[in-house]
Amino acid sequence: MKEKQNISVGIDNVEAADKIAGLAKYTSDIVIEGMLYAKTVRSTIPRGTIREIKIPTLPKGYYTVDATDIPGDNIVGMLRDDWPVFAAHHVNHIGEPIMLIVREDKAIITEIVNKITITYDEAEPTFDFTDSCEQLSFQKGNTKKAFKEAKKIIDYTYETGYQEQTYIEPQGFIGYPENDGVTLIGSIQCPYYVKHAVMQTLGASEDLVRVIQATVGGAFGGKEEFPSLMACQLAVAIHKIARPIKMIYEREEDMEVTTKRHPAKITMSAAIDADNRVMAIKSHVGLDGGAYIGLSKVVLSRGMLASTNAYTIENVTARGDVYRTNTVPNGAFRGFGAPQMIFAIEMFMHHIAKDLNIDPLTFRKAHMVKQGDLTATSGVFRDPVIMNSMLEEVLKQSNYIEKVKQYQHPESNKGIGMSWFLHGFGFTGSGEKDKIKARVRLKKDEQDNVHILIAAVDMGQGPKTTMRKLVANLLDYPIEKVIFNNPDTRYVPDSGPTVASRTMMIVGGLLARATKKLQDQWVAHQEVVTEESYEQPSYVQWDNEAMHGDAYPAYSWGINVCEVEVDRQTYEVRVRNMWNIYDVGKAIDERIVLGQADGGQAQGIGYGYLEVMNHREGKIMQKNMTDYIIPTAADTPPMENTLMDNPYPLGPYGAKGVGELTLVGGAPAVALAIEQAIGKKVHTIPVTPERIMELIDNE
Amino acid sequence: MVENKIPTSYNEALKILATGSYQVLNGGTDLMVRYRGWSETRVKFKKNMLHIHNLDELNYITSKDEYIHIGATTTHETILHHPLIPEIMKKCLRVFASPAIRNMGTLVGNIGNASPAGDAVLIAYLLEARLVVESLRHQREVPIEDFIKGPGSIALAPDEIIKEIYFKKLNFNATYFTKVGGRQSDAISKVMFAAGYRLDADKIVDIRIAIGAVSPTIIKDKTIEKSIKGYTLKNLSNQKSMILSQYAAHINPIDDQRSNKHYRKKVALNLLEAFLNDIITRS
Amino acid sequence: MSEKISFELNGQSITITLSPDHRFLDVLRKHLNIVGPKEGCGEGECGACSVLMDGYIVQSCILPLGSVHGKKIMTIEGYRETKRFKALQDAFLTEGASQCGICTPGMIMATEYLLSHNPHPTDEEIRHGLAGNLCRCTGYNMIIKAIKRAAKEGEGLW
Repeated sequence: MKEKQNISVGIDNVEAADKIAGLAKYTSDIVIEGMLYAKTVRSTIPRGTIREIKIPTLPKGYYTVDATDIPGDNIVGMLRDDWPVFAAHHVNHIGEPIMLIVREDKAIITEIVNKITITYDEAEPTFDFTDSCEQLSFQKGNTKKAFKEAKKIIDYTYETGYQEQTYIEPQGFIGYPENDGVTLIGSIQCPYYVKHAVMQTLGASEDLVRVIQATVGGAFGGKEEFPSLMACQLAVAIHKIARPIKMIYEREEDMEVTTKRHPAKITMSAAIDADNRVMAIKSHVGLDGGAYIGLSKVVLSRGMLASTNAYTIENVTARGDVYRTNTVPNGAFRGFGAPQMIFAIEMFMHHIAKDLNIDPLTFRKAHMVKQGDLTATSGVFRDPVIMNSMLEEVLKQSNYIEKVKQYQHPESNKGIGMSWFLHGFGFTGSGEKDKIKARVRLKKDEQDNVHILIAAVDMGQGPKTTMRKLVANLLDYPIEKVIFNNPDTRYVPDSGPTVASRTMMIVGGLLARATKKLQDQWVAHQEVVTEESYEQPSYVQWDNEAMHGDAYPAYSWGINVCEVEVDRQTYEVRVRNMWNIYDVGKAIDERIVLGQADGGQAQGIGYGYLEVMNHREGKIMQKNMTDYIIPTAADTPPMENTLMDNPYPLGPYGAKGVGELTLVGGAPAVALAIEQAIGKKVHTIPVTPERIMELIDNE
Repeated sequence: MVENKIPTSYNEALKILATGSYQVLNGGTDLMVRYRGWSETRVKFKKNMLHIHNLDELNYITSKDEYIHIGATTTHETILHHPLIPEIMKKCLRVFASPAIRNMGTLVGNIGNASPAGDAVLIAYLLEARLVVESLRHQREVPIEDFIKGPGSIALAPDEIIKEIYFKKLNFNATYFTKVGGRQSDAISKVMFAAGYRLDADKIVDIRIAIGAVSPTIIKDKTIEKSIKGYTLKNLSNQKSMILSQYAAHINPIDDQRSNKHYRKKVALNLLEAFLNDIITRS
Repeated sequence: MSEKISFELNGQSITITLSPDHRFLDVLRKHLNIVGPKEGCGEGECGACSVLMDGYIVQSCILPLGSVHGKKIMTIEGYRETKRFKALQDAFLTEGASQCGICTPGMIMATEYLLSHNPHPTDEEIRHGLAGNLCRCTGYNMIIKAIKRAAKEGEGLW
């Protein structure tokens, strides 16, 4: 028997050859004979009651589709069901959908949309953090006592802004009537989220709603829950008109009305003892939820769970609120609450050290998590923590310690920053067991091709390649004989959403078990089907009410080091270099993991210093790719990425989660580098040139 | 419905313009964005459009005596790679937008759009460029600062076209260009600064300063420049704060989605001061 | 008013009767079934719609049809038949330079433009050469490596 190759060795991405040649079919490339187009009529005010809608006389065959056409619930089924499919009476943010105009001639549709006049009774909108609609808290140890006994108490407040996913392919669907039901093809991360939401809105049974994933041109969380809204609207339109309909957002529409990363305000307070150790941390996270809460509570929870990051703190009190504001609803974005909190805690640890006159690196090392320590929620870090050897390696590669000294000179205008971080994967606590209940299926056909039947979506992050590789390797079988088509809910079971860095670890883990079963039941030239469903590791204990116990079965770890130069005349930042090191257990494909690293880091540092989005009275100001600045090739620095081997016993081949991990540390790394370069404490991201000017001027 | 015409010769273009009801569409990098509609629908131009981008007669860079002439349909990328073009223009065009936009956009087209943030327009001011404007009625020449009246507002009659731009070759010891955008490339400027000077021993015999995106039109003040000419480096050093305050009086930027007025003003003055310091310390 | 517009598309002569104020991207995608060029932003910023016009890279989403009259257009559909494309495709695959892939056809056209003018670009020249092509997945470094690999392994092609 030939020796099996190390699973981690990179192979060519199985979808990439077609993508490079322009052959891949994205939603907007799909044309269905006789299809119509839909355009959305939207609220122009942040809050009010619709008094009257004046619609011009419609030409023959033109339709409006609104809340009155909904056969089921006027709600987009998400974690918290508060988001209407169409605004019926009240509007709560600018850009809220009120109706669709549908027909084939786009020029006439535009004319109709422009002629519709809506009068409102306007109400006073809320834009500040006052209307709390979700609260969470947890407690570890005895924070009160620690603060009473503290030698010193240090407080800081940190703020983070919006971040737009800015997938290059805007949101879109095409749908058509099929067998008394509706079929929707779209740019989505979660086929079953869409299916369940549409079933609820149509009041339709499972067999009447079919959802198919088209090639997805980037998502990053932006196509987790938002597509459910579009799908529900389009399904209602198809239900009413019984024709194929296409709805693709224009870029400006996409940027103005789709979900973004929650702006956050985080207050941190630390109790310091006589040995300059942090005895306790109290934190409060405030998230701007926007007009509808959707899954904001889970984002808040993710953020709070990161409140002690890669540090062990004996006593912790974490509290958080999601505030409702009359702005576009915020939602999922790679990292899911963690980027905000990891920015805050990394800056905070650094700022405490500075205030105590201690070398920040020494101070952080003194608090670093070790195997066996308790997490912020009193769970256990069960698996080997190799942060020390990762730190050693990245210090060496980046020459960090020497550079820190060198750049202390104020004339250098240079700085170097380092962030540490961890990320748990899968749904928090018992979410995988209670909410998702993932199922996977493998089918070997009579030609002995093996079909992977899961709902996981390849949006560029590579599961088409890694899942096939995983199954092929386990079977010791040619990868060409393993087939994984885009998920279609008619054929694949619900293996859960493609979110939370869960795909390889959870879905891949189940597939590995199903593959084992298939191997055992293998009969040549006969159809064999195997299935597996999720079982929670027995050691995971989680109390969802108290937020106590193991929030995640295991964690991935990382360190980012970032070097910058700041221009003294223009305050512009140039990121010169990045060094990054990760423990993702075992890379199922190094090339793919390194690609995730490069891309996640670019988004992470972009969040930290470049990407500005804000609203004025509820209206998004940066609504196109000219004004919302994401990094170009000229902005992104060279990056050295290192992967450590630290296999997780319950992961397939030892794999843990990857996708989000690579983003969450970027912002504090770049912010700390800028902090050193300008010699001023940074509390807010993005650290734009405008903000740097203020920091320097406010001596 | 608006009409569109593609002339086959410059003369035909002038004839169509003589009807008085056409607007010139050159590279389209500004107008196609400004009037874009829903995909797959016609661009929502408000006027009849004359598509001149393919007029090869206007695609030229020539040199006569000490002057360089650039035809209306000459793209930024062509200008960037042409041996006759002064380095200050190349410095600007290298970081201007992106290769594709440079292949489509034209210098004359940018001037026709009169954006206060037009990068190459700033250099045209610095070069004290003149425009050749033509119609079937006449041909006239106009200095750029008289041609651009305000954001998007130009001194052009409905039957006229900007045929070319021309400027005198520079003779400076050094030229300066800084573009401050939201990112390293592919960005609209928040602030732009361009300058040049010539010294005779320690005396300034020529100096030009242009500042963009900080007022409705590009700042270039010949009176201040004239007052600096003849200064020794020591004079310049003594008068530096005076000069800065003279320019500060012109700088009147706005807050928008890309930056704020405090930043724009401060950075403009920082760049001006750094330029003056550079001359002073050069001695 | 429609006009007769003639141009060469991937080596084939095309004459189309259409108003010159259509966006060329729409003409390609809707009228000529050329869907390799993608719409990402509609304002010439992201580069997903990049095509070559007389060998120069342009953004077809802000290119009026009127400007195309008499020109030679190359899209990914034509380019993928060339040896140069094969060298780029191999290099992009080997370096992992395409993730979601929506920017990739445009990125390939930008690379062709870059290499055809500069067969041995430095990192910095590549970074500026790709400045009009936004990618949100890769952080660009693998694309830069792929272009350097293609330049080396495809020596003599450009």
